[in-house]
Amino acid sequence: MVVGEFTESADLVVIGGGPGGYVAAIRAAQLGRQVTLVERAQIGGICLNVGCIPSKALISVADEWHRLGEASNRGIHVESGRLAMPEVQSFKHRVVERLTGGVRQLLEANGVTIVAAEARFVDGHHIRVVSEYESKKIEFAHAIVATGSRPRELDGIPIDGRVVLGSTELLALDRVPDHLVVIGGGYIGLELGTAFRKFGSRVTVVETTPTLLGGTDPGLVRVVERRLRELGVDVYRNARLDRVNIENDEARVVLRSESGEVALDADAVLVTVGRIPNTDGLDLPEAGIQVDGRGFLVVDEHLRTTNPDVAAIGDITPGPMLAHKATYQAKVAAESLSGQASAADAMAIPAVIFTDPEVASVGLTEAQAREMGYQPVIGRFAFGANGRALSLSQGIGEAVVVADRESGLLLGVHVVGPEASTLIAEGGLALEMGATLEDLALTIHAHPTLPETLMEAAEVALGRPIHVAVKRR
Amino acid sequence: MSVYEWKLPDVGEGIHEAEILKWHVAPGDEVGVDQVILEIQTDKAVVDIPSPVHGRVAGILAAEGDVVRVGTVVINFAVDGDAQTTLRGEPAPVVAAPPTASAPVSPSASKPRRALATPAVRKLARDLGVDLQKVQGSGDNGRVLAEDVRAFGEEPSLAKAPPAEKPARAVEAAKAPASGSEVRIPLRGIRRSIAEHMVRSKFTAPHVTTMDEVEVSALVALRNEMKATAAESGVKLTYLPFVIKAVVAALKRFPYLNASLDDNTEEIVLKSYYHIGIAVDDPDGLLVPVIRNADQKSLFDLAREIHDLTERAHAHTLTRDELGGSTFTLTNYGSFGGLFATPVINYPEVGIFGTGRIQKKAIVVDQSTDEIQARPMMSVCLTFDHRVVDGGTAGRFTNQVMRYLNRPMDLFLEMN
Repeated sequence: MVVGEFTESADLVVIGGGPGGYVAAIRAAQLGRQVTLVERAQIGGICLNVGCIPSKALISVADEWHRLGEASNRGIHVESGRLAMPEVQSFKHRVVERLTGGVRQLLEANGVTIVAAEARFVDGHHIRVVSEYESKKIEFAHAIVATGSRPRELDGIPIDGRVVLGSTELLALDRVPDHLVVIGGGYIGLELGTAFRKFGSRVTVVETTPTLLGGTDPGLVRVVERRLRELGVDVYRNARLDRVNIENDEARVVLRSESGEVALDADAVLVTVGRIPNTDGLDLPEAGIQVDGRGFLVVDEHLRTTNPDVAAIGDITPGPMLAHKATYQAKVAAESLSGQASAADAMAIPAVIFTDPEVASVGLTEAQAREMGYQPVIGRFAFGANGRALSLSQGIGEAVVVADRESGLLLGVHVVGPEASTLIAEGGLALEMGATLEDLALTIHAHPTLPETLMEAAEVALGRPIHVAVKRR
Repeated sequence: MSVYEWKLPDVGEGIHEAEILKWHVAPGDEVGVDQVILEIQTDKAVVDIPSPVHGRVAGILAAEGDVVRVGTVVINFAVDGDAQTTLRGEPAPVVAAPPTASAPVSPSASKPRRALATPAVRKLARDLGVDLQKVQGSGDNGRVLAEDVRAFGEEPSLAKAPPAEKPARAVEAAKAPASGSEVRIPLRGIRRSIAEHMVRSKFTAPHVTTMDEVEVSALVALRNEMKATAAESGVKLTYLPFVIKAVVAALKRFPYLNASLDDNTEEIVLKSYYHIGIAVDDPDGLLVPVIRNADQKSLFDLAREIHDLTERAHAHTLTRDELGGSTFTLTNYGSFGGLFATPVINYPEVGIFGTGRIQKKAIVVDQSTDEIQARPMMSVCLTFDHRVVDGGTAGRFTNQVMRYLNRPMDLFLEMN
């Protein structure tokens, strides 16, 4: 035995303190477990510190600022205005502090021991935790791995934090770049690109494939693309990044697009080309934990890995990399490891994108429904015909419902438009409850509100809409 | 491609049947060699069964909850020809997945595979151990309602009943008033093996129980004194290790109590090893882990092992070996405050020794002066198999144990 080597024992160890890990820790503690949470960086993880929450703070501020400039047609004439990015940053900081502080308090109130260290498996029931000051072994009865993901970097274009930025660095920027080039037209690139366009940057998005927001229903994406054009965001599709030269804090980004070589001079380059699971450095094989071909941990419906005393949740498990997926799985894993009959059997995981307008989806698209052998019926209702959307001067986009033609069973809900991220909750509940088009159509929706569009879309699918003229035969 | 039929193997000595607890695969799934496909329960241990082949699951022939005899075909795999030759001599023709009772039956191939049920109903089904796919829903579109799940859980045989009967039952259940109703829990898993075990014991061995009380002030004092020393070495010292020592010492003097009756050969088997079962209360049912060679272990060793076995009994991580092979069993009904009990013998053992609560009682300490003092008294009992021993032997054995509990220092005389 090495001198100074201590083995502590813990009942249930959670590795990672993000929206998966901290929730797992609290639920396990509620079930009477003695919980140790190991977090190498910040409690709250990417989501609270440098992801979902701070980005939404910036996006909201950018939108408010931008809308002031567009407000003259509603009678608001702003004579002079000033955007102070350092103050925006401190607002963002306060939001983050408040939430992470709250999480820390909750963990403490539940008796969770927090260890600030990096963890790796020694064997099936031990981890080694290494912090700046110490290294020790912890024996556990059960463990939950919730180490999340990190941005993928591009070969040859390392993030320097000055000109070449990842989402973390861009979110912390206290200046508005003159020209921001966004590499990658996925949801993070478009959300932040749109926000900085609204702050006043010239923004250029570079995407290697023919489509933005890959994986999202093309019908929804078109509405976002139209708005990007209105906002003056330049988009290069089918464009391959050739090189980036940096000189005196200025970047020259060279692309090969369909129309030949294009050179863009920028003072900020955002690299958002996907995320990769944080599974390296955990020594998973030591604990008998298998990963699949794409680096995700193999889990069963109880989120148990191939080591039955270890569960895995969140971005390191197959499926979308979304905080709410991790949070849901966290509860299932904590309950299942504590002897309850919990299983991950949700019908659908909603996905939301905070572009302008917002995009949100839950359940099957029309194409997916067809693939699965359904005869789908579709109902669409435009926000342009919704009183509340117009009164908000945001009458763009539409609500779409997808249902089984024969039984009327709702299969999917998709929204592109104002507050789509909020509206999708009703769709999620409807899917989990096994609602039909009739259920949605017959539920009284308050007037005048945005969710009326979902009721109307259901009536469109049933062939009897009030606010859409149907040609009489 | 050919079909590989897989039979329930013999998973341990003397096991003739096992209960199918959970299938990890469904028809159509691809499986690899050694991938866990099935959990079965034998006696009191749960065993994971790995796949013997690489292939596709063609059919599952036993439903969860079925009790299956060793040698019964429970699953069919479609495997590649070459894999099959190494595993099974007799080639079978290409067969499509045979329709089985457990395969979810969909009205048409293109229709949804999942039962239509709300999250709350899905949770209820898991809590009751009901497979939603097997429940005929009585709601619109075949929606499974909470009542359907409860009705299904009440009668396990419904799994095999013709579906036409079910809606009617479900409606009946739905109409039944909520208050004054009954809940029926299927006899499964640990509960079932306890039930079987108890019935076999009670119907085979004529049980006789003797009860007595023993004055234990010396034991209380000794344990209190040792407790601090034990705590220093991280050991939680209860009375149980002392009782084990006392019982083992007495068993050595009364070999017929550390024995079993072999019904087949009509022989009494006397055992010169002392494996002591300790009854552990668990919410899921009684478990009896075994301390092997208890005569060769120190008090602290026993205390540590009791702690470890108890913890793992609660965590359900005991192995089959740790749950079997005892020669005599102890039960402490005193931990629930009990004063008297008539324990059931852990068949095929000959005796089970029970200890009750320790409490102070007024007893006559001096027969000549009739002086009465308050002294800690422990109630004890012995249930024995009257086929093997008679009241006299049992009484003498109990007296011997009580002597050790009354004068624990005498245990030093037994030290080897």
